Amino acid sequence: MEFQAVVMAAGGGSRMTDLTSSIPKPLLPVGNRPLLWYPLNLLERAGFEEVIVITRKEIQKMLNLDTKMKLDFVYISDNVDMGTADSLRHIHQKIKTDVLVLSCDLITDVDLYKVVDLFRTHDATLSMLMKKAHEPTEVAPGQKGKKKPVEQRDFIGVDDTGKRLLFMANEADLDEELVIKRSILQKHPRMHIRTGLMDAHLYCLKKYVVDFLVENRTITSLRSELIPHLVRKQFSVPTSLQQGVDNKDEGRKKKEQASLDIYSFIKEDNSLLKPAPDNSCWNDHRGDMNETLHEGKVRCYVHIMKEGLCCRVNTLALYIEANRQVPKLLLNLGLEEPLVHGTAQITDRGMVGSDSIIGSSTQIGEKTSIKHSIIGSACTIKDKVKITNCIIMNSVTIEEGCCLQGSVICNNAVIEKGADIKDCLIGSDQRLETKAKHVNEVIVGTEQLMEI
Amino acid sequence: VATSGAEPEAEGGRGAGAGGARGSEPQEEPPPPLQAVLVADSFNRRFFPISKDRPRALLPMANVAMIDYTLEFLTATGVEETFVFCCWKSAEIKEHLQRSKWCRHTSPNTVRFVTSDLYRSLGDVLRDVDAKSLVRSDFILVTGDVVSNLNVSRALEEHKLRRKMEKNVSVMTMIFKESSPGHHARCKEDDIVIAMDSATNRVLHYQRTQGLKRFRFPMSLFQNSIENVEVRHDLLDCHISICSPQVSSAHQRILNSIGVASLILGNQIHMHVTTEEYGAHICNLLMYEAVCSDIIRRWVYPLTPEMNFTDDKNQSYTHSKHNIYRGVDVSLGHGSMLKENVLIGQGTVIGSNCSIMNSVIGQNCRIGNEVMLDGAFLWDGVHIADNVQIQHSVICDEVEVKEKVKLKPHCVLSSQVVVGPDITLSEGTVISLHPPDEEEEDDDQFSDDSGVNKEESKVKLKGYNKKDVGSEGRGYLWKADDKNEDDEEQRQSLWGPAMLSEEESESDSDLSMGSEEPDSRAASPQLDDIKVFQNEVLGTLQRGEEENISCDNLVLEINSLKYAYNISLSEMMQVLSKVILEFPLQQLDANLDSQNYFSALLPLLKNWTPLFKNYIKRSSDHLNALFAIEEFFLEHDSLCTSIAKVLMTFYQLEILEEDVILNWFSLRDTSDKGKQLRKNQRLQKFIQWLEEAEEESSDGDQD
Repeated sequence: MEFQAVVMAAGGGSRMTDLTSSIPKPLLPVGNRPLLWYPLNLLERAGFEEVIVITRKEIQKMLNLDTKMKLDFVYISDNVDMGTADSLRHIHQKIKTDVLVLSCDLITDVDLYKVVDLFRTHDATLSMLMKKAHEPTEVAPGQKGKKKPVEQRDFIGVDDTGKRLLFMANEADLDEELVIKRSILQKHPRMHIRTGLMDAHLYCLKKYVVDFLVENRTITSLRSELIPHLVRKQFSVPTSLQQGVDNKDEGRKKKEQASLDIYSFIKEDNSLLKPAPDNSCWNDHRGDMNETLHEGKVRCYVHIMKEGLCCRVNTLALYIEANRQVPKLLLNLGLEEPLVHGTAQITDRGMVGSDSIIGSSTQIGEKTSIKHSIIGSACTIKDKVKITNCIIMNSVTIEEGCCLQGSVICNNAVIEKGADIKDCLIGSDQRLETKAKHVNEVIVGTEQLMEI
Repeated sequence: VATSGAEPEAEGGRGAGAGGARGSEPQEEPPPPLQAVLVADSFNRRFFPISKDRPRALLPMANVAMIDYTLEFLTATGVEETFVFCCWKSAEIKEHLQRSKWCRHTSPNTVRFVTSDLYRSLGDVLRDVDAKSLVRSDFILVTGDVVSNLNVSRALEEHKLRRKMEKNVSVMTMIFKESSPGHHARCKEDDIVIAMDSATNRVLHYQRTQGLKRFRFPMSLFQNSIENVEVRHDLLDCHISICSPQVSSAHQRILNSIGVASLILGNQIHMHVTTEEYGAHICNLLMYEAVCSDIIRRWVYPLTPEMNFTDDKNQSYTHSKHNIYRGVDVSLGHGSMLKENVLIGQGTVIGSNCSIMNSVIGQNCRIGNEVMLDGAFLWDGVHIADNVQIQHSVICDEVEVKEKVKLKPHCVLSSQVVVGPDITLSEGTVISLHPPDEEEEDDDQFSDDSGVNKEESKVKLKGYNKKDVGSEGRGYLWKADDKNEDDEEQRQSLWGPAMLSEEESESDSDLSMGSEEPDSRAASPQLDDIKVFQNEVLGTLQRGEEENISCDNLVLEINSLKYAYNISLSEMMQVLSKVILEFPLQQLDANLDSQNYFSALLPLLKNWTPLFKNYIKRSSDHLNALFAIEEFFLEHDSLCTSIAKVLMTFYQLEILEEDVILNWFSLRDTSDKGKQLRKNQRLQKFIQWLEEAEEESSDGDQD
């Protein structure tokens, strides 16, 4: 494989602190596996043998993964706040080839080749993965009403084939208008402006982009700085070419700037290719008689998934959604491990839905029904419990006659007899009293009952 | 876009009324015959001075008048009744058509003429279409300068289907031809960028791109309801549209003078894109050149020269390879070469050792020896002497070019001009028998022309400049390439925007978006917009006055104009005040004395009070109106004395508030003239009276 894979697993999960305060984001169980397992599995399926994982020390300690790949852990100290671009810069010495960067919170069944092939066929600078974002179907615990996500929309411009990424802007950077340069439309007269696409944070990048990052220390984030910059650079003239026109008085200053320009990092490939455009009668554009290739050297491509699973676990709602989707994914992967672990003791098999996952050594009592739910290992669930649409982590005890619906229950929590819980998040080590009744609450701290 | 609640309802009512007859007896009656409205006037002067002698619709393209192409297109696409609207030189157009096959009784397409000298814009024509209720169903709207072999039936079906599904929301389907940037038939001037909803083909945004480096799209286009907005820069506006009958009913949709509909209110405009067929609109000589050569290169098949679709026996050609077309009785001297893409009309005689390529030569031309023509468009009866070289130029009827004349690219010799001998005309020379300055004497800005006959006498008075046209020449130079700014403008209008090399992708070496250059939008079109808008408002009010249209409807109409020309509220206020104040002068007499002026104005103000009230809401609006009033009275010194009365009326009609009037009066930073105005006796009295009245009322409050 001509790629080196890098998984970014150092993020804190700042948008779902209720969950990540007790469990670090890469370790959050999704379908009874740590979140980090999914991107690693994706890479393994694609045939990678080595992966660089950027993470924090304490995470690696707790991590217990079964993978055949060689994992190269790189640690980032806890007290430094590093952006994704910073992390990539941090490991630049290990980067020898083009890289495939992905985030630890990506769960997808995409055919990785589709993204990589775009990169290969077009000799692209960047290729990335996107998917139409789905509206959250159910409300996350602690969310009042159907709150519309206040997130700023992204505007993505792709060409007629839907592959070439021409334009990228965030609503926050725009005023009343969306501005598109004439030079872009001159070369790509049809542009589809898409909104409502979710960036999967999976990028194939050329080696020289990493070199460029090393020089440009101002860039801290891949998603919000580097990628838009690359997209924009596709249609601008290299500074080195501009310089010919400029006065030489400012030459020195310009030179410093030029060294920071992405174009100066692009290695001229072999000399055989150079005369090729002049000798061919083919050209890549219509209507005018300009030179064969009017493409710049920077080219960005995007693969937009039409169907299949692709979600990023970065909010509570998405975490719940991901858990709902995962049993299907695991089945499709054809893993040897069954959804219901062999060591689980279930009294009434018939009461457990086929799309539920049950971890090892979990005991489930009589007349207990489990539907669309995921239950971790070493849990004790007594008789006559009803569990629907729930995520129950490890070593949770649920006593008789409880009714749980649409809730997330973290490690070691105890739910006493007859509790009725709907759309709640119960933090680790929490204990709910007998006959407690909670609807749409987040219960985390020992004494604090957070009402949002 | 779907914001206005009142407007679609109003339309719905109208639409139902218009289509009522159809609705009540479904499917029994055969579909009404397809109708078309052909506007044989461009309402601009782009083709001056050529169009001084011949209306644009009759300019020959490959020896056939433009309007014949348009009519052939309409007939071929199944139109059974065409209304030809003429204004400028209507008699000539009428005469031409009456002689043509369209007016024979065998013609499947009945041509009817509607002539009026009063049309000033496409809007006027459409209002008239509505007033005379000429159309019964969806119709095709074209201008008389469209060359096309399109079959609109699919677009028409789509249009009808949409109207059925969405209850008459869609009023118009515009037809575009796909052509990539850089295509020779894309003129800079008509270059557009469109945002469309790719699912429904609805046009969301239509923008001319001339001179823009960046295209701006309002964020409102990208609503969540539209999943995929497509921005297209590969389209050529054919200026063919399918309109619903409502489009013409006056207050709903005003098309601006170029035929581009404004995308406003609840109305929707859709589009149809053709890739294979040909469609082009000749808006300047560059387009003329491009379309002519397309015709000769057979892109407009079946409308090729040898087809003789006009069925005129003088127009029969033989077609041989390399696209050489020859009429009857053409003689070609020894050693002359017709290289490629040449059309030669009947009775033309060409001398020896000539070299001709990419050219059109009309009927009965005489061409001497050793002549080089490349990209020359010669009309009928042209005489060209020996050793002449012509490149990319247009030579009109009966022009005489003497020995050893050289024409550089983009020259125009309008009819009966004589040049030479032995002179070189620099690039872009325009010579006409009409002296260029007579243009300014025309009082009429918006028609193609008026008062043509006057100049005959003047020609004799002024001598021709031998330097410009040669020792035996006859004609006036319309422009030199340099110096005079007007001339620069002229060049722009005749050949379209100067063909500068395309401004290539600009630099942005910085990371930040902040490095973007300041907006380079030109300010001048904006001003023109206001001017045109003002004229439109005036027209609307005139009609309102004549036909007694209620203020509500006037407001609706002015609103749609406001959106069409993108007029801000403050501009709106100024224009409205100005128009109304000028109204008596326009209508009656420019030299009214102040007494009569006021008595004429008073009933108007009373009538249109609701109009003002609709637009004057914030105090800044009051001020804007006052400024406009002030400006008006500064411009018309003689009426100065009535300013107090006018203000009084505004006050009494509760249009303007006393606070604002006082505020305005006390403004310090006015010009000298403004101060002079404020010294007006009656005005001061009025202000005094106002102040007292205010004191009284505030006193009253205290009690």
